[in-house]
Amino acid sequence: MTTEPLKRLMCLGCGFSYDEALGLPEHGLAPGTRWADIPESWVCPDCGTPKHMFEMVVIGYAAGGPELAQKA
Amino acid sequence: MNDAAMNDTAMNSTFVIRSAERGHQMLKSDGSRASYLAGHPDAFITRASSFNFNQYQSGRPGFGTVRVFGEEVFHGSGCGYNMHPHHNFVICAFVFAGELTHLNTAGAGMVDRLQAGDYYVFSAGSGGKHCELSVTPEDMHVIYLWLLPEQLYMPPTYHRGHFDFRKRRNEVVQLVGEADGALPIQQDLSVSRLMGDAGNRFPYQLRTLSHGAYVFVREGSIRCCGTELGPRDSKGVWNTESIEIEVLEDDSDVLIVETIMIDDAKIKAWESEHVGH
Repeated sequence: MTTEPLKRLMCLGCGFSYDEALGLPEHGLAPGTRWADIPESWVCPDCGTPKHMFEMVVIGYAAGGPELAQKA
Repeated sequence: MNDAAMNDTAMNSTFVIRSAERGHQMLKSDGSRASYLAGHPDAFITRASSFNFNQYQSGRPGFGTVRVFGEEVFHGSGCGYNMHPHHNFVICAFVFAGELTHLNTAGAGMVDRLQAGDYYVFSAGSGGKHCELSVTPEDMHVIYLWLLPEQLYMPPTYHRGHFDFRKRRNEVVQLVGEADGALPIQQDLSVSRLMGDAGNRFPYQLRTLSHGAYVFVREGSIRCCGTELGPRDSKGVWNTESIEIEVLEDDSDVLIVETIMIDDAKIKAWESEHVGH
């Protein structure tokens, strides 16, 4: 079984971030939801930028960041 | 668009973006856009993007940590961007003419008014909103930078500074970064400005070989590492220890953005796809 590392992506329209590990429970995406499994029609909940205009980033969180990100 | 000239010499790597090769847009405050663009019905913003902000990722995908380098003019009083949210991005604005009224929710929230020489650094971090307006009769001229942050979800911050172009002449002045008097930024990046007169040469030492410099000529003309650059032309240089800027015209106004060259592999892939274009 291949276990691809969990990704983080940033919206290039406003900076909103999506973290596969955290999901976006407030927006119906459970923790662990892979980016690839989110429909292509999905848009940034903050600014409406289409899914394909997100960029994968390798950036860590500030202290307390993951808790805030999960509630975004 | 962004038909950047590629030039890989033995040591350094470069690209040149001429003024007309930038992404050009005219954004009117009408239709569904009027909720985002302020000043309906007659206000409009012109935007020239070095890294194709309009299509976000279809052109040169930034430079190091830089994702947006956009020159904008707000036309008409009341023109601007209504209150909108950001996360994570570090947004810098450098005002060159007119007045930018900036409402920002960072910290306790504030209303700031920026005029020629003023600039701000807004780190959106865990989330913030801002509104940017030109409420005076003059057009407002600004350059925006959007930068990837060092960490996600940092506490939002806002700092503002001033560049005195009459006193700080013929020297490279760091506006954002770690130098004395510069605005702090939580990223391995600095922004400097040079207001120079013809005949002066300015060597610029890069921090390490892993850093690159994006040199943008706002006014005047310079020679940068063998390339003559006129108004709104720009050049990226990396894999080098230092660069040199020779000023060719009085009152030349140059911005230098030095950044750690993260995402180099992705940028190389984009370049190889666009060789010869």
